Amino acid sequence: MLQAGRALKVSIYLSDGATHHGVPVYSSILDFLFYRGISGATVIKGIAGFGADHHMHSSSVVEISDRLPIKIEFIETREKVDSILGKLEELTGSGLIEMQETTVAKPAQRSKPKLQMPPEHLKMEGKAKMMRIYVSEEDRWKNKPLHEALVEAMRANDIAGVTVYRGILGYGAHRRIAKDRPQFASHHGSIMLSAVDTAEKLQAFMPIVDQMVFEGLVVFSDVDIVKYAYRALETQAAQTSSSSVSAPR
Amino acid sequence: MKEQFAAKMVRIHFGEDDRWHGKPLHEAILAKCVELGIAEAIVFRGIEGYGSASRIRHSTRWNLSKDAPIQLSIVDTEEQIARLIPYLDTMVEEGLVATSTVEAIRYSQPAGIAASHS
Repeated sequence: MLQAGRALKVSIYLSDGATHHGVPVYSSILDFLFYRGISGATVIKGIAGFGADHHMHSSSVVEISDRLPIKIEFIETREKVDSILGKLEELTGSGLIEMQETTVAKPAQRSKPKLQMPPEHLKMEGKAKMMRIYVSEEDRWKNKPLHEALVEAMRANDIAGVTVYRGILGYGAHRRIAKDRPQFASHHGSIMLSAVDTAEKLQAFMPIVDQMVFEGLVVFSDVDIVKYAYRALETQAAQTSSSSVSAPR
Repeated sequence: MKEQFAAKMVRIHFGEDDRWHGKPLHEAILAKCVELGIAEAIVFRGIEGYGSASRIRHSTRWNLSKDAPIQLSIVDTEEQIARLIPYLDTMVEEGLVATSTVEAIRYSQPAGIAASHS
């Protein structure tokens, strides 16, 4: 929780037009900050500017241009900034991150409970848990499909990996049963997310599931991790488009 | 509402072309689950696989009904699953039924206001 007093103001200047997992980088960064429980962040689109490549970018006519400079700003405590900086640098790619000391005169009011910080990424082997979440494809959270929001939340919380399955038939906590006209006869609608990670990390993620899932079932089972391989950082190009979901920082 | 309980998960593997009294087997099993009041049941269609009969099963873009592998995943309490197993024994003629012990957490809304949440 951001209190009045000393804090850090972080500004991220993005190389324009870059995408990360097919979405604009600013959007991935915003999602990342959001699911990591940063108090607030603002994305500002510049009307003209130039960056490290010394190319001047501007929109000479009034039109939507994706080649314009973008700046993301947020204010947080130094500890929190330090805890997310590694991943943030990775997401920012060729962009610039600037920090400055600032003083919070009045913190903004918060109406939601704080998201929990997960432990650092672990090299996993041996005992672990598989978490399966059953929801409906029609469920939404903050105007996006719930299963997509859950995947984003898991990615932001460094859950090692998640796969979404769409069932061809199904019913359950997320879907009413009508015996006369069984609703499961609909050929879409049942979604299962399957994630594997340590019991502690999945438990730490549960408060977020509590907030996001209103109807559904979560099932935990014991698994043994035989192999956990990820694409190492060294092999990634230092570009924002690189895949970094499960890479350690 | 959030409730936590010890549960069993049943996974049933067979082929999409398998039938029970003329109906696709997965639909028949799902109907049985509804009848028994089983909490959660979901059917997945695999894109490739093979099973107890050692036939490679796959679905192609051109022919969706080429006996794709089917997996049914069912979750409920041990007692409820015990009621279902005898039916599975008779209905699944060729396939695999596996159970495992799981911990389940169910989120539900009281009936009536369920649809109002967005």
